[in-house]
Amino acid sequence: MAKSLGIFVTNPDNFAHVMGITKAAKAKGSKVKVFFTWTATHNAKDPAFPELCELADDVSICVDSYKKQGYDVEDIPQGLTSKEMATQAQHGIIIEDYDCYISL
Amino acid sequence: MKILNVYRSEPDETVKKLVEIVTRDREKDSFDLAVESPDYDALVDKIFAADQTICWW
Amino acid sequence: MEYKKCCFMYRHKDYAVDGMRSALGLAVENMYSYGVVMDVEMEKLDEHNLESLEMLRDMEGDIYSTIPANVEKNGLEPIDLEELGEKLRDMDIIVPYGLK
Repeated sequence: MAKSLGIFVTNPDNFAHVMGITKAAKAKGSKVKVFFTWTATHNAKDPAFPELCELADDVSICVDSYKKQGYDVEDIPQGLTSKEMATQAQHGIIIEDYDCYISL
Repeated sequence: MKILNVYRSEPDETVKKLVEIVTRDREKDSFDLAVESPDYDALVDKIFAADQTICWW
Repeated sequence: MEYKKCCFMYRHKDYAVDGMRSALGLAVENMYSYGVVMDVEMEKLDEHNLESLEMLRDMEGDIYSTIPANVEKNGLEPIDLEELGEKLRDMDIIVPYGLK
């Protein structure tokens, strides 16, 4: 069985890599969780973001970062639910519960 | 312990120094993400084969 | 139970303070969490961020810097590149954070 993979995204310029790695990992049968923080929360407005949410098993963003980047917390990005507008605890879950880890 | 170093840009002297220390006496592999079309399939295989992945700036 | 050890590295001024928040976030999740401000001189930390730093230290984490001005101005712990490299060898998770 494929290992699970957690991706922690801190750089807004890496969205193509997030998509590429998620697609490749899913094709291998891996469980994938992605968490976006700070300026990387801008990625939630990328046209391909809903596709990422479909592909990955779990996608969430740091709601505090999203707010600090100028977005309204009521404006939930397409593909997410209110409970996926989350905290840094999601990063902790990636580290504790997933076999492999990469930051981007 | 096997370390995978992933590079998002050409490593500068600081990164080279840290990689040198972190991988001393350890098994290591690397992957260059700063190319036109990265082979993500190969990257994921390397991540799964490593004990630790460090994705440098 | 063995607690995970994590180290964040910040090389861009705009990412250091928020990166410290991410370090604190992992300390709250029962991990040993550290941050290192490299290359750049930070602004003086405001009261809220100083409190976060204190909280992190209370949970056995810390923020270091390779830049003496950050050590003087914000009370960060000094570290040089060699020492940082040795510290990283002991980490389970290493996060080169944000932009360079």
